[in-house]
Amino acid sequence: MKNLRSKYIRVLGVAPSSYGCGFAVTEGENTLVAWGVKTVKGGNKNARCLSNVGNLIAHYQPTVIAIEDARSKGSRRSSRIRALIEKIVVMAKDEKIKVKRYSRKQVNLAFLSDERGTKHALAQYLAARFPEELSSRLPPKRRLWTSDDCRMDIFDAVALAEHCLRNGE
Amino acid sequence: MALEHLPNYLLSHRKRTALSQTEVAFLLGIQSGAKVCRHERFTLDPGLQTALAYEVIYQRPISELFPGLVEKIQDDVRARAKMLAEKELRSNAHGLTIRKRQSLAAILSAEFNNQLK
Repeated sequence: MKNLRSKYIRVLGVAPSSYGCGFAVTEGENTLVAWGVKTVKGGNKNARCLSNVGNLIAHYQPTVIAIEDARSKGSRRSSRIRALIEKIVVMAKDEKIKVKRYSRKQVNLAFLSDERGTKHALAQYLAARFPEELSSRLPPKRRLWTSDDCRMDIFDAVALAEHCLRNGE
Repeated sequence: MALEHLPNYLLSHRKRTALSQTEVAFLLGIQSGAKVCRHERFTLDPGLQTALAYEVIYQRPISELFPGLVEKIQDDVRARAKMLAEKELRSNAHGLTIRKRQSLAAILSAEFNNQLK
C-alpha cells in the first residue's frame, strides 16, 4: 500500500471552437487523465459550452484552468469565442480556480520552438508524446478547402494544459 | 500545491485500451455499460470482484486504478486505528494488549506503508 498522495496539480485545458469545446485534464508529468470534445449544436452555443465546462470542473476539480488568451495581439478568435472565454474565466474565478491564459504564439514557441508553427505540427508533436492516448485521434492534415477537424480541439486543449504544467503553474 | 487523487482513473484507462463501455461491461460479466458509466463518473464504487476484473482488463494494479478510493480507505482505517489505540491505552498492558498496540502503531505509522510496497 504505497502512499498515493499526488504532489502534482491537476490542470483542465479548455479550447473553445465553433464545434463546442475541446478539453484535456492533465495531472503530473506524462499523465493525461481525460481528453475529448464536447460538441454543441443549435442555438445558444455559449450557454451550453459553459454548462459543459461547469460539469468538467465539478467532475475533475482542477487546480488550474488553462485557456487561450484571445486578448493577445494577433488572436483571430471570433467575438462569440472571446465572450465564451471571458465567461469561463468568470466561472473559474467564482469557483476559486486559478486561470492561466496562453496565446497561440506562447504555446507554439514552447512546443515547436517556432511561434508560427502550424496546428497540425503541434498535434503531431502531442500525438508522439502521448501515443496511447492521442495517436488514434490525430486527424489528417487539413487541406486548403476543408475546415478544421473537431478533433483538433483536443490537441489545442492538451497543449494548453501541458504548457501550464511545464511552466509549473 | 498538493492534490487529492480522483476516486478512480477508469475512464482514461478505458480510452487508452480503445474499448467501449459495453465491451468493458461484457468483459466484467455485467449486463450493460450503464454500470461502467457509473463507475467512471464516480457515482458508484465497484465491488471487490469488479475491481479485480478491472485490474485484469486494464493490466494495472487496483491502487493505480482507484488511488482516490484507496486513499480514502487508508484514511478511514487509520482514523479507526487511532480510536482503537486510544481505547487500548486506557486498558491494562498484558501480553496480548502489547501485541495489539504494536499492530495499531504499525497501521498508523508510515513504516507500514513501506512494508507493503
